[in-house]
Amino acid sequence: MKTLSRLGLLSAAVAMGALAGLPALAQDSVNVTNLSYRTGPFAATGTPVMNGQRDYIMMLNERDGGVNGVKIVYDECETGYNTEKGAECYEKTKGSSIVTQPWSTGITLQVLPKSNVDKIPILAPGYGFSPMAEGKTFTWAFNPPTTYWDGASMILQNIADGNLDSLKGKKIVLLHLDAPFGKEPIPLMQAYAEKHGFTLLPIPVGLKEMQNQSAQWLQIRRERPDFVVMWGWGAMNAGALTEAAKTKFPMDKFVGIWWSGSDADLKTVGEAGKGYRSISWSFPVSDSKTMQDIKTHVIDKGKSLSAPGEFDYVFYQRGVVISMFAVEAIKSAQAHFNTKVVTPEQLRWGFENLKLDDAYLAEIGFTGMVPPFSTSCANHAGHSGGWMLQWDGAKFVKSSDLLKADETMIQPLAIAEAKKYAEANAPWPTNDECKM
Amino acid sequence: MDFLNSLLVKPFADMVAAPDFLIQVLWEGIVSGVLYALIALGFVLIYKSSRIFNFAQGIMVVFAALTLVGLHEKGVPALLAVPLTLVVMFILAVGIERVVLRPLVNQPDIILFMATIGITLFLVGFGEIIFGGENKVMITEQLYIPTGSFEFEPFGGFVSIEQKDLTAVIGAGLLVIALLVFLNRSKMGRAIRALGDDHQAALSVGISLSTIWVLVWFISGIIALATGIVWGARAGVSFALEVIAFKALPVLMLGGLESVSGAIIGGLMIGILEKLFEIYWGQPLLGGNTETWFAFVFALFVLLFRPQGLFGERIIERV
Repeated sequence: MKTLSRLGLLSAAVAMGALAGLPALAQDSVNVTNLSYRTGPFAATGTPVMNGQRDYIMMLNERDGGVNGVKIVYDECETGYNTEKGAECYEKTKGSSIVTQPWSTGITLQVLPKSNVDKIPILAPGYGFSPMAEGKTFTWAFNPPTTYWDGASMILQNIADGNLDSLKGKKIVLLHLDAPFGKEPIPLMQAYAEKHGFTLLPIPVGLKEMQNQSAQWLQIRRERPDFVVMWGWGAMNAGALTEAAKTKFPMDKFVGIWWSGSDADLKTVGEAGKGYRSISWSFPVSDSKTMQDIKTHVIDKGKSLSAPGEFDYVFYQRGVVISMFAVEAIKSAQAHFNTKVVTPEQLRWGFENLKLDDAYLAEIGFTGMVPPFSTSCANHAGHSGGWMLQWDGAKFVKSSDLLKADETMIQPLAIAEAKKYAEANAPWPTNDECKM
Repeated sequence: MDFLNSLLVKPFADMVAAPDFLIQVLWEGIVSGVLYALIALGFVLIYKSSRIFNFAQGIMVVFAALTLVGLHEKGVPALLAVPLTLVVMFILAVGIERVVLRPLVNQPDIILFMATIGITLFLVGFGEIIFGGENKVMITEQLYIPTGSFEFEPFGGFVSIEQKDLTAVIGAGLLVIALLVFLNRSKMGRAIRALGDDHQAALSVGISLSTIWVLVWFISGIIALATGIVWGARAGVSFALEVIAFKALPVLMLGGLESVSGAIIGGLMIGILEKLFEIYWGQPLLGGNTETWFAFVFALFVLLFRPQGLFGERIIERV
């Protein structure tokens, strides 16, 4: 029955996608295409997030008829997390969608220069190239609510109990996917290592080795690090957790970035993963108003593609939060430009003017699901900070108050890297109107 | 001088200094090798009987493992889910023979190879619709696969052998023996080999092409299920399992596409050598992650001297 329901939903999604192209609907709808990856080696990460994104939009359409009377069409173009396919999806959808959600650091880097020409905003929440937060350089790219470098800074502060000098003489392994995403924190962590006197040892994991990391964990056994920080995606996370449990590496010394904190991955090791931590800029609050409305309008009506139990997962609810960012940018642009159907240029303004404080998050039903933050023309991330989550053997629980990244350390590096990127890709248009 | 020392002396000194660690490295290499050999076997069987390089072997592993876990999620007891999964794999084999292979009889090899890419794309989409893309936990304990570990302290050190890995090695060994007995001793097995040697001659003595194709695709399905259980027990069941098929390519280059024993020995050689190279040379000298390319370079090196692979048949075509 569930299978038939899935097939039915898929047919409906295809039909909706086809209808979205009709001019008659173009006047009262906006298209937010997602370059999704529900297949391939990273589907385990992508699927629950995409389900959450899809279900939030569906709930708004069901409950409110869209946003201020404008229906939101949620389309997906499957990339399988493949950069070439991602670039094709971008070209295919840039004419119809008001935003591009590239969903991999590799694809983000590919479409970054194109977005300047096509004038379409890139929404890359919590991923992509960290210096994209520098809005004066990256006019069309947005990575709210926080960047990978923020994540690295928060992890280091947390494992050092707030005193980074206590890491002096210690050894930290960075177990990372051998891809642009995995290499992203290395420059910042190296800068930290030089400043605070610890040894950073990056250990790459290739795509074909994600599920058999015995060599990497033999190296970890030999090196005897004080901490292992994981920058994993997809099957790499479960592979690393299994090996860590197998080699009896102390889980409380093992910390991951937010894409290494999936309930489904931790369930692979279950009780043996107890104590593992993951920094996160989102937290599942299943009894929040938004989640309850999704349950009523989408889940209970059998319209969701999510697996049983996925509703409570960190990744599913992170997907909901991500779609909320896009919706709030649309709302913001609608109000500012006094229009209903916003254009990509107007949406860019919306992303630059997100004001998500505690009161507003409560008003839209997201209390406790994401830290408050706001963006500006200079700050395209918001740098919300995040919470350290810990696996208790069955689920993730919060194990810290809200952590904030050390922007005094990150900002100079981000500005320098943004400048370097712009020079390497000259002529690169910058936002000179931004005076912040 | 330092470089030569770290290339020719230090690795061996490290091996002698920490023999327990060397034993652990060798064991992990054996486990990896067996896992590679299992994947390679699926390719070999189909190639042996039909000269088709089955690009779909990786996705068959995913499909078999997802079916097993999916059936169990629907409430089917684990020990019943296994035979039911085999039924599904048999239906898949019949479907592939009827819909894809039969209409393409006598077509060039490249057409049949392309058809297996089509099968892959179909199974990716079909599997996603039916089972979703989320990571699923392999039903290891329900299948009575032991999950503890044996721990030893040789030379005052420490060696840990996962019971799961030991079961995989023994299980794979038994599967290979059964396969060899079947291919060499049974009538159907000999028919498969005959078809691999010469299609026309085999057909002329009454061997049914379609029956044998269904049979080999089904046996590949059994191997895919075994591979899926073993790999799924390591890191969960997801579409990522498809990628492991690429690990079989250098094994096939090394062992030869037609040789069952070549797949086993090739798999073990690559598993052990790539692990030794990564730990003692790759990580200290090259920054690690040499496993992504070592097996291919090693296989290429062997091909320079034996173009048919270590155990492949030397075919001389007279013009």
